[in-house]
Amino acid sequence: MIPDDLRYTAEHEWVKVIDGGVRVGITDHAQEALGDIVFVTLPAPGTSVEAGQPLGEVESTKSVSDIYAPVSGEILARNDVLDARPELVNADAYGDGWMIEIKLADPSSVDGLLDAAAYTKLVSEG
Amino acid sequence: MTEDPPGTQDPVSLLHSPLHARHLALGAKLGEFGGWAMPLEYAGGGVLAEHAAVREAVGIFDVSHLGKASVQGAGAADFVNATLTNDLDRIRSGQAQYTLCCDAETGGVVDDLIVYLRADDDVFLVPNAANTAEVVRRLAAAAPGGVEVRNLHLDFAVLAVQGPRSADLLAALGLPAGHEYMSFIDTVWTSPAGVDVAVTVCRSGYTGERGYELVVPSGRATVVWDALFDAGAAFGVRACGLGARDTLRTEMGYPLHGQDLSMDITPNQARVGWAVGWKKPQFWGRDALLAERAAGPRRILRGLESLDRGIPRPHMVVHSASGEGNVVGEVTSGTFSPTRRVGIALALLEPAVAEGDEVTVDVRGRVCAMRVVKPPFVVASTR
Repeated sequence: MIPDDLRYTAEHEWVKVIDGGVRVGITDHAQEALGDIVFVTLPAPGTSVEAGQPLGEVESTKSVSDIYAPVSGEILARNDVLDARPELVNADAYGDGWMIEIKLADPSSVDGLLDAAAYTKLVSEG
Repeated sequence: MTEDPPGTQDPVSLLHSPLHARHLALGAKLGEFGGWAMPLEYAGGGVLAEHAAVREAVGIFDVSHLGKASVQGAGAADFVNATLTNDLDRIRSGQAQYTLCCDAETGGVVDDLIVYLRADDDVFLVPNAANTAEVVRRLAAAAPGGVEVRNLHLDFAVLAVQGPRSADLLAALGLPAGHEYMSFIDTVWTSPAGVDVAVTVCRSGYTGERGYELVVPSGRATVVWDALFDAGAAFGVRACGLGARDTLRTEMGYPLHGQDLSMDITPNQARVGWAVGWKKPQFWGRDALLAERAAGPRRILRGLESLDRGIPRPHMVVHSASGEGNVVGEVTSGTFSPTRRVGIALALLEPAVAEGDEVTVDVRGRVCAMRVVKPPFVVASTR
């Protein structure tokens, strides 16, 4: 499941352009590979993040992975619901399982991300 | 996201269970266990749902990667009793026992295994997948004339049926279910389709729940598997992978060989001295283990329970919480407890660290507070 209207990273984050910035989560492929997610650690609003740098962690019953910032900017919001209900990332990776919103330092930075076709190719090539 | 976790591929060099096609049909994610490609979890399930099925209803695991071996001939039981640690005189024919195969010199653990005592001249062994060849090699090399040790690893499949509804499920199929914990029944069972299957039903498992381990000829494994799932829907049955088996056994504090027991970790250190027949005149590792027991082990396996959101994982370093924060040990098994919703671990700690103490664990550079506790982390319901 790779929606056409999102952008992606090679590290399996998705990026959706919203009013004032972007919303970010991990892809369905990523949640499937991780298994049942039990903790999501996310930065507080106001935190500055840099593209390619870890901004949080997602931990499943069996392993832990970093979440990388797809773009540089400032955290506008974090999905507090995930503190109590991390399983939403498994159930609805592109919807209720969203993780953070970022105000872009450079509005054109989204253009450098993968589109759905490129991400599909990346996933299918393993 | 960094990378896909291991276990999502199925390397062709690995051995397959006789139930492999069933696992693929159920959308299993496979992982490598002792040279075998076995289910980690199933599509539509996952570790949490599979774990819950075993705690609340009934789950079925394919554990055919486990080893099987026989020791037969006049004096077979005496030979096993003079080599493996536990005292076979504590059980009678028709009962099973947890025991250890230790190195004769060091007392390190070659493997932990279950022995089925069929008769004085007939003992069946279930070692771990990765260690079966070595256990068989050591026993065969030491066996006296008239005692034959055979590796039957591929001859049998093993299905673990675990959970509070497991007895109801077996009874519904006409399989024996009323026998006591750690006893077994050899029977010929006729499947609903009329196929006769020689099956050994043992009241045992690795989950802390009431349960059974069914040893069946490999060629009949699918007959038993299919019957269990056909009848199991009424009992809330779920196929369970080895991911859930690991969270279930960790909640019980059961050691896993290769992590909590090894050639470098003795029974005294892992606190499985209850599986050693200390009064026996002879067993492999006796001298070394008695000496260590008298001197006191240099480290002890204890439970850790997370006091925050940290999840301890194997090889993470444990520090004292007070003073200098000295290194006091290492995590050997650690995971998220689905029942308790906290991180739990088994860790080898210096003897000075006591139950109730607070320690810290370095969780990828983060200092996480943990309490030293006595396992199990969840009350066992095996009986």
